[in-house]
Amino acid sequence: MKFFDSHVHMVSRTTDDYQRMAAAGTVALIEPSFWQGQPRTEVGSFKDYFNTLIGFERFRASQFGIKHYCTIGLNPKEANNEKLADGVMELLPLYICKEGVVGIGEIGFDDQTKLEEKYLRIQARMAVEADLPIQIHTPHRDKKAGTKRTMDVLEDTGCDPARVIIDHNNEESVKEVLDRGYWAAFTIYPHTKLGNERLVEILREYGGERIIVDSAADWGISDALAVPKTAAVLKENGTTMETIERVTYGNPLEAYGQSGQVSESDWEDAEGVDPSALFAGNTLFRGGQDVEEAMAQYKVIT
Amino acid sequence: MTLEEKLLEILRRSASPEAMEWLVKECAAQRADFVQRSFYYAFSGVSRRFDKKGALQLRDGDADDLSAEVTGFTVEAWDQFRLGRVVLLLVLAEQDEEIFIETLEKLLGTADLREQAAIYSALPLLPRGEKLVELAQDGLRSNIVDVFDSVALGNAFPAEHFSDEAWNQMVLKALFISRPLYKIIGIDARANLKLVESMSDLAHERWAAGRWVSPELWRSCQNFITDQIGEDLQRLIDSEQPGQREAVALLIAENEQEGRLAGLQGKVPALIEEVKAGNLTWDQVGRDFGKDCFSVFDDKQSDKNKT
Repeated sequence: MKFFDSHVHMVSRTTDDYQRMAAAGTVALIEPSFWQGQPRTEVGSFKDYFNTLIGFERFRASQFGIKHYCTIGLNPKEANNEKLADGVMELLPLYICKEGVVGIGEIGFDDQTKLEEKYLRIQARMAVEADLPIQIHTPHRDKKAGTKRTMDVLEDTGCDPARVIIDHNNEESVKEVLDRGYWAAFTIYPHTKLGNERLVEILREYGGERIIVDSAADWGISDALAVPKTAAVLKENGTTMETIERVTYGNPLEAYGQSGQVSESDWEDAEGVDPSALFAGNTLFRGGQDVEEAMAQYKVIT
Repeated sequence: MTLEEKLLEILRRSASPEAMEWLVKECAAQRADFVQRSFYYAFSGVSRRFDKKGALQLRDGDADDLSAEVTGFTVEAWDQFRLGRVVLLLVLAEQDEEIFIETLEKLLGTADLREQAAIYSALPLLPRGEKLVELAQDGLRSNIVDVFDSVALGNAFPAEHFSDEAWNQMVLKALFISRPLYKIIGIDARANLKLVESMSDLAHERWAAGRWVSPELWRSCQNFITDQIGEDLQRLIDSEQPGQREAVALLIAENEQEGRLAGLQGKVPALIEEVKAGNLTWDQVGRDFGKDCFSVFDDKQSDKNKT
């Protein structure tokens, strides 16, 4: 089975994860721009971060046969530093129309401050101007109200809900998100928050339309295999294969495919991995390792 | 036809009509009222209109046509993205110098690999080249082959603007990373004694390591047959490695009065005849060598690589 993880922060993950993901059937992923665990103090740090997303990280993924896409934006946490945020706004137009950039993200609210709203509006307008999908981060605290407020701002800015993916939903937020015409993504965390079984119930209630499952794996305790593992749990619990395929592959492809920057042919027609390829003189494979061999040991899901 | 019209004509053969219409409109809009942000959208947004795997359809007359505009300029091996972006850069080049340079530097500082290649490829077409020299040299520091190639190969900019020092660095690195020297524009005209000395040193290092060198290394020696080069060629004359004897024959034919090579003439008479008949050229040596360049540098073959 093929999987598309539409939210995963690979700059924080090791090659073990890439190997496991490839072995488990993840053919494509989206890396949203986010903060790095601590606030950045210079605009130049964002520039180099964005350059990594469109450069070396894309190359790393390709070495495991995985197609890497990204969304570019200023996250809400760092939007509270106004001087820095203004600098990032100057930078964004250089990136958002690039090859493989499938949207503006992840943007939205964290503490729901005025500054967060200011930069959410600016970036939402930019997405409309550049005709791009938006990937929304919803707050972990006061989620229901924060999600509602996000949608109000987006609609006020002229965004089409069909081109917006709202992430980190839970049972409380999902109904309004779907009712208002947005895509609803669910992040499957290993211990707390939303586990795989809760999703079974949600799918039972809402069906698979416009629902997306992702891992949001980052530098914290999280699971880069959350999407394939969830697929396995859903199957055990009697969810139809059609629905599973939709929420773990078809829907993210359709939602972000609206950017025109990702299509199935990108991986279906891809030529094999060249383990001798270099990026800026760097290779990922040491001492003649074989990529197939290196990956075989990680086959956890068959 | 202007150069821009010629480039558009070439692009039109393979690109979709919608993409071409978009590009022509963008150029007109930016000419009428240049806005940095929308220029960024257009430059990167070429990827949203053109075919990402789209090759160009070139015809027999193209090379001469383009070379007539800018010496040695070629779009061989370019794709739709690169050509579309270079057309936009021609529009950018019409802006005031300050805006032109600032925008170009911003684009380059945030460029993905294909965008970098487009910017470097455009250098020979851009005005105020003297202000772009450092930027071009930066491109050569890249270890990404496509980026290095976009500055070094088929690009008239280095020959026109580089100091000898920068030129020599470029040619030596090209040799070092196995790039074809015959594709470097100005490879013969910019040869100099310092380069030839460095080349000979490189050859000796490789020989000491039981490896050998591209026959193209000797091309820059045409007008610099020093004592050292004379000795090196004595060593090469019996080499069975591809292209080495051909290189010696070319140097002999080009330096018939050169006493240092006198003793070598009788060893490769047939090859010298080939040179005189026009059947053996440096470009030919480079092309032939390129065909098995990689197997040649394979370490497993090092035992066969002795001169």
